[in-house]
Order: sequence, then C-alpha cells, then structure tokens
Amino acid sequence: MSITIALAGNPNCGKTTLFNEITGSKQHVGNWPGVTVEKKDGVCRGDKEVIIMDLPGTYSLSPYSAEEIIARDYIVKEKPDAVINIVDGTSIERNLYLTIQIMETRIPMVVAMNMMDEVEERGDEIDCAKMSGLLGVPVVPIVARTGKGLKELMETAIAAAKEHKKPELPRIFDKELADAISAVADVLGGADSDENNWKAIKLAENDDLIEAGISEDKKRSVEELVKAVNKIAGGDAEAKIADSRYQYIAKLVKECVKKSGKGHVETKSDKLDKILTNRILALPIFAGIMYILFACTFSENFLFIPELPSPGVWLAGIVEEVWALAADGVIGAVEGMGASEWAMGLVSSCLDGVGAVFGFLPLVLVLFLLMSFLEDSGYMARVAFVMDRIFRHFGLSGRSFIPMLMGFGCSVPALMASRTLESDKDRKITMMITPFMSCGAKLPIYAMFAATLFADSNQTMVIFSIYMLGIIVAVLGALILNRFAFRSETSNFIMELPQYRIPTLKSVLIHAWEKVKGFAVKAGTVIFASTVLIWFLSNFNFSGMCDMEESLLAAIGNGIKWIFAPLGFADWRASVGVVTGWIAKENIVATFGQLFGNVSEETVEAIMAGEEALPAIGEVFNQVSAYSYMAFNLLCMPCFAAVGAMKREYGSWKWTLRAVGFQMVTAYVVALLINVVGSMLF
Amino acid sequence: MPLAMVAEGETRIITDFKGREKTNRHLQDLGFVRGEKVRVLGENGGGMILMVKDVKIALNRGLAQRIMVED
Repeated sequence: MSITIALAGNPNCGKTTLFNEITGSKQHVGNWPGVTVEKKDGVCRGDKEVIIMDLPGTYSLSPYSAEEIIARDYIVKEKPDAVINIVDGTSIERNLYLTIQIMETRIPMVVAMNMMDEVEERGDEIDCAKMSGLLGVPVVPIVARTGKGLKELMETAIAAAKEHKKPELPRIFDKELADAISAVADVLGGADSDENNWKAIKLAENDDLIEAGISEDKKRSVEELVKAVNKIAGGDAEAKIADSRYQYIAKLVKECVKKSGKGHVETKSDKLDKILTNRILALPIFAGIMYILFACTFSENFLFIPELPSPGVWLAGIVEEVWALAADGVIGAVEGMGASEWAMGLVSSCLDGVGAVFGFLPLVLVLFLLMSFLEDSGYMARVAFVMDRIFRHFGLSGRSFIPMLMGFGCSVPALMASRTLESDKDRKITMMITPFMSCGAKLPIYAMFAATLFADSNQTMVIFSIYMLGIIVAVLGALILNRFAFRSETSNFIMELPQYRIPTLKSVLIHAWEKVKGFAVKAGTVIFASTVLIWFLSNFNFSGMCDMEESLLAAIGNGIKWIFAPLGFADWRASVGVVTGWIAKENIVATFGQLFGNVSEETVEAIMAGEEALPAIGEVFNQVSAYSYMAFNLLCMPCFAAVGAMKREYGSWKWTLRAVGFQMVTAYVVALLINVVGSMLF
Repeated sequence: MPLAMVAEGETRIITDFKGREKTNRHLQDLGFVRGEKVRVLGENGGGMILMVKDVKIALNRGLAQRIMVED
C-alpha cells in the first residue's frame, strides 16, 4: 500500500527546494479542485510507494489566504499518513508556531530542521535530539539545498507514517484554559477524539470556518462555552492562545538553541536591504535591473556592442534555424508522398504558424529564467515593498506589482501569479490591468510597424513609448476601477522579506520551466488549430477554393471594419488582424504577411524581428493610424490563452467578461484618442 | 504609541493591536504578539521593515499605525 506524506511549512522555509530534492523530476502539477491554488505532488525518489504532497506555504492553521485554507483542509480532512513540517532554523520561533498547530491535530509528523548550514554559519547551535525529546516529535536536521540529512528525514517520516505514531497534544495552556477548551470538545462529541479537541481550540480562536460546520442544536451550547473560554482568557481567547503557544516555544527554544550573538547582528541581507530598499536608491536600482533583464532577453546589440545578440535572441535564432530545417524536411516528405497543392499549402502554413511561436519560446524562456532567479533570490519581495509606496496612490498594494511585472513576459503566468494576493479586490483589479502590460508576443507587431512606417524616426522610442503607454493605462485603469467600480479601502501590505539567497540552478530551471510550459503547449494546440482555421477561411468561400480577396475571411473583415473607422483603420485586413491577434498576438504579423502580399516564412520572421519592412501596409496605415492600431492591440482583449487563464483565476465567466469588456472599452477609447488627437497634430 | 512613530534602529515592545480581527490574527501568526520585541530596520515614505522573532517583515505605514508599542 502506498503512503502519502505531506510537506507543510511557512512560505520561504525551503519547502519547494526540499520537494524538488525528494521527488526529483517526477512531479505532477495541477490545481486543487474548485480553487486555483496550485497542487503539486510527486513520487519519492528511491521509494515508489511514497507519494509526496507539497502543500502551499502557510503561517498558521487559522487560514488567512486561499492557499492557507488548502493547506489546513488537507492536513485536517484528508489526513495524510504523515506530515513533514519544514522549519527554517534561522527563524525558529516563528516557524515553530505552525509546528505546534500541526501537533494539535495529532497527525503523525516529523520536523525537518532546515537551513542548518546557515544556523552554523551564524555560530548558533540547535540541539535537535533534545528538541525531539521535549516535543515528542522526531526532529531531523537537514540542509535542503544540498540534500544533507534527507535520507534520514525520509526514513523517519516513512517510519512515523507506518507506525501511525501520533504526537502528544502539547501542553501549552494552563489548567483552567485547558479545562474550558475540553468542555467545548465534550459538547462536540467527546474530548477523546482528536478532531473534537482540535476543533475546540479553533472555536476558542474564533475560527469562522469551523463554526459554519456545527449543527444547529449544538451551536448554542458551544457559543456559551466559548464565551466561558474567553472570560478565562481575559476577554481575548485568540490572543491568549497565540500567546501561550509562543511562550511554550520560547521555553523550548531556550532549552535547545544556543545563540552566539548578543542581540541583533547585522547580516549580509541587512546590508543589502539598506541599499536595495533605500528611500532614494531603490527605484533607480530596480529600473537598472529591469533594463538588464530586458536587454538579456530582447537586445540585438547586447551590452551596446553592435550586432552582438543577447542570450535570448541568440537562442531564438538557433531554434528558428532548426525549425526551418525540420519544416523543410516535412514539406519535402509531404511533397514526396504526392500531396495535392492545397494540402501542401495547409501543411506549410501550419508549420509557419507554429514555428513563429516556437521561435519565440527562447525569448520567453530567458525572460522567465531571469525572473525566476530574481524571485527565488528574495529580491522580488523587496520590489513589492518598494512599489507599495507608489501603488498605494492608485489604490493597489505593492503585491500587485509582481503579476504586472510578469505581464511583460506573458499574461498567462502573470494572471496566475495574481492568486497570491490576499485581497479579493486587489486580485480582481490586478487581473483586469495585467494584460495592459505589453507581453512578449506583442513586440513583433511593434517591430513590424516600426520598421515599415517609422523607418526614419527613432524606432526604439516608438516601441518604448508603447510599453510606457501600457503602464500608464494600467495605472489609470486601476485608479478608475478603484474609484468607481470597487470603492473599498486599500488593503494592507504585510510581507515577509526572506533572506537573500543565491538560488540553486535546479530550482530556477524547474521554476522557469513551469511557466514556459504553458507557452509551449499553446504553440502546439491553440496556435496550430487557429492556423488551420485562418488558412481555411482565407483560402475558401462557399463555392470552394478562391483568392484571398473573395474568401470568407475577407467577408468577415469587411463586415466588421466599420467598427474601426473612428480609430483610423477601416480595412478588412486590419480587422482580420485584430481577430487573429486574439488567438495569439504575434499572429497579427503572420496574418499581415499573408494578407498584404503573401510573403514567405523567412520574411515573416525578419519582419517580426524588425529587420525587414512590409511596405504594403503603408497603403492602409499612416503613422497615426499605425500607432492607434498598435495601441488597440496592446490594450484590447488578450489572447484566448490569457482569457482562459482569467476564467480559471476569476472562477466565473461573469468576472471574465467584465474584465474583457473593460479592456475592450479601454482599448477603443485610447485608440480613438490617439487617432483624433494625432490626426490634428500630424 | 503607534509603531509607525518609532525611529529607525530602535527596538520596542508590542502592547496592543488596533486593526481588524483578521489582520490582527495574521500579525500574530507572523510573530507579532503582545510583549514581543520589534525592531525597526528601515523605513521609506510608504512603509517600514521590521524584525520580529528573527524574521524580517515589511508593513505599510497605515498598518504600523495600528500596532501599539511601549513609549
């Protein structure tokens, strides 16, 4: 029979690192049913019978965010065979608070005392054997990053699971309080049941989720008894219980931990923070880091050396070449089989469509690798803090900044990152404005227009100004939504700033891959299907195969082009571009390539990179309407993959449609303003 | 007095919480309990960086205004 072991611990305690070390690459990532919190499980390396469940990081079993509710429900309701509770040895007291609460559920458990190397470096000592004796729970010292102690940890955990060794209820309350709490447990059905005991404590702590689950007939007597507990605790049982737990921990730590330093010693992290969160320096430093990040990903003249491609561009070039070779091979093979002309056309346009996205994948990968590095190093938490000061003016907490920043890469993971926001209002607004950040897939559109219509102007400035436009609209959008749609006060900012650590290569790779995967899947599915559809629509009408101008696609484009007349681009091909952009924004360039002159795949790629112009679009667009078109596509509904992510995160079509509606109206208004004002000026 | 008034580098003892119940509980979970020492490591116009129980925590000023410490 297989054993399930859950990993529980505070955020930033090294839980994910431990999970990766224990399971290797055999992981399965999904969602918890009904909610959008990531669910990760994997099989233990070396023992296939052991399933490891990674629970979301939590500070307590009295839940504060959606992620914490998941962790608690899993431990209490699903009852894994054992829990490994990871404790960060460098902040042992705070971490043990969760340990005590897990012990209160009396589920078999093992404490993994992590970061023992850093503890030693500080000159502190933790006596794990002694702590184990006092707690009545095995305590195993480990260093998750290097894998030290993991073998012993797993052996201990498996033994605890097999023997069903329940921890004793920690004696943290004085007799009076303990009696009052067990009276509550009696009413619930008896203090001999672990579940009733645990519920009684949570009731005394004023836990609404537990209250909701009590039958009507018991409710009144429970309420009376909880009042009695409160009276004993001097009016505030919740604070008293928290206090008792911390006092118990303080005693335990005094017995088992020898601290070298007297008082507070300034660490490297503190010194770094003095600079990186400095009132004046923080923002310029952040801007500099972002610039480097984007340069590494997108720059054609890396480190200001002409013609030197950045790692991202270099990788993209290689992938494009390999793809072109493979595509030629496939086309040759299909031709050899004697395929008809239209089948050939279909095959080659599919290869082009999917290839365009694959060529893009390395850029996304490099961007996410760097972002993951920043996240895992602990810097992103500081950025959220620094930005909080600014975002507060727009009614958002600094935490909203991280999803928005990721929006520059791809909206899909960015929208997923918004789930960490505790305030519902912040989440909703952030998800509405995140797609305004110009994602990587929108860049080829700007590159095309810049090379074609802005050839004589400063192209970099044109593209940069579009990025800025996205940021400005997002900020104004947040302000407007806050004023008129949500009208609630700005939520508080509470965030732990973990110590700076150089992340391991493995964790950065796994982290980045999780994000890129969605992009790769999109290339294989949505884009593939849409290319087939567009090819069909642009080559057929009801009487069979035809020229592009008479196709179904042209009919659709002609049918809707009037909508865009006030924006300056009442052309069927431009309209079709908007629609194909919803499948994937970079699709617009491929579509234009087909519709404005039937150019080859290589040319499309050159246009995407801004190396070649597409002169035919000059017949339809001038500089003003081109800018308006870029702005419209930047701001209007994001690609379907992102809309799908929105639907998953909002959990309702109602909110998804509201968000899309807001984005559409915003795009229309902004593009209209650009066209009207621009036409007057130029 | 409110924690928001404490100068950088100073250490004070927490006496009370004036925020909403849910926020107070979350603060407790993070180590902010009555009688606990809190040290102000840094501040910028919008918020403060604090040290509680060996952990660094950033708060916005409005929230720091609702945590009371000994004068």
